[in-house]
Amino acid sequence: MTASIVNCQQITKRYGDKHALDELNVSIPENKIVGILGPNGSGKSTFFRMITGLVKPDSGEIEVLGKRPGSGINREIAYLPDRARWYPNHTVAGAFEWAEKLLPGFDIANAKELADFMEMKRDMRVSGMSRGQEARLMLILCMARNVPLIILDEPFSGIDVISRERIIEGMIDYLSDRDQTILISTHEIYEVEGMFDYAIFLNQGKAILSGDTEELRAQYGSMHDIFRQFYRYGKGGF
Amino acid sequence: MDIRQVGALTFQLDFSQPLYEQILEQIRSALAKGEIGLGEKIPSVREMAHALKINPNTVMRAYKELERDGLTEKRRGQGTFVTTSEERVKTFRAELVKEYIDDFLNKMESLGYSWEDIEGYMQERGSRRKGSDLT
Repeated sequence: MTASIVNCQQITKRYGDKHALDELNVSIPENKIVGILGPNGSGKSTFFRMITGLVKPDSGEIEVLGKRPGSGINREIAYLPDRARWYPNHTVAGAFEWAEKLLPGFDIANAKELADFMEMKRDMRVSGMSRGQEARLMLILCMARNVPLIILDEPFSGIDVISRERIIEGMIDYLSDRDQTILISTHEIYEVEGMFDYAIFLNQGKAILSGDTEELRAQYGSMHDIFRQFYRYGKGGF
Repeated sequence: MDIRQVGALTFQLDFSQPLYEQILEQIRSALAKGEIGLGEKIPSVREMAHALKINPNTVMRAYKELERDGLTEKRRGQGTFVTTSEERVKTFRAELVKEYIDDFLNKMESLGYSWEDIEGYMQERGSRRKGSDLT
């Protein structure tokens, strides 16, 4: 039995009369690369904000790293929010220096290793970067931290294919010898599904299917196939 | 179906089936066909995961099984190598022969054919194949 790093029981969060999370039950195993998969509006971002304590549940219980979410554990979590941007006047090297002073657990040697994997030159200025290059920088700042939990909200969205491949290859190389749990939300599954150990499918604020990706493949087919079935059957065919 | 090249090995990955089984099968088959020679080094887990763009744990799982079956061996600080034992590869090929034949026989039996029927069909197919070789 693997220990779980995030545990949710019957979590509900409403905005007005809309349920962002609707009695969500989730248990996320540690030291895995976990895909949090679902269409836009299925509750992925709200779930991440709840793990980092930015949003409180209306009801239900949530435990992260064995504790309640909030400022007490946030130094152990690296969180890359949706649509994050970086200071335009920084270079890559400048961003690393800044991060070393301010981000708990930031390891500049790790950052340099990742920058090499993802082919980012140190003297590149943020203002001159493509969206894909800026996304790579944001990702490096997050992943270079020696923390047990890394959360990446839609890190591949709106990024060109080349950047996406660099990111995936960089993550695979870097993660080969590391014990960290990484949660990655995405609605673009096709090219990235091979990197997940575990997948959780969200729909309308509920987890409708979760499990080891290899077992899910044996039972239902690819993550991409499963995902497409959601749209076809509306509320999830499982 | 994605076709990906890793060193001398070619992989075809179907994401609707468990990936570790496909990696295992395809390395085994390369071994049985002699596409990778005795004592040859195979790509590291990291190289393989990188080239196939899949989780290193998935590759690791396939590698562990190859090692447990004695088809590969790890050498400290050097990586993973195909066994140097010709005997082991021979036994493995014999195991494959047995597996393929059993598979075929089970299918024929499930269609209701007796051993005599099967033998007859085999002889007919065999002579036709030989015939086509000559033309």
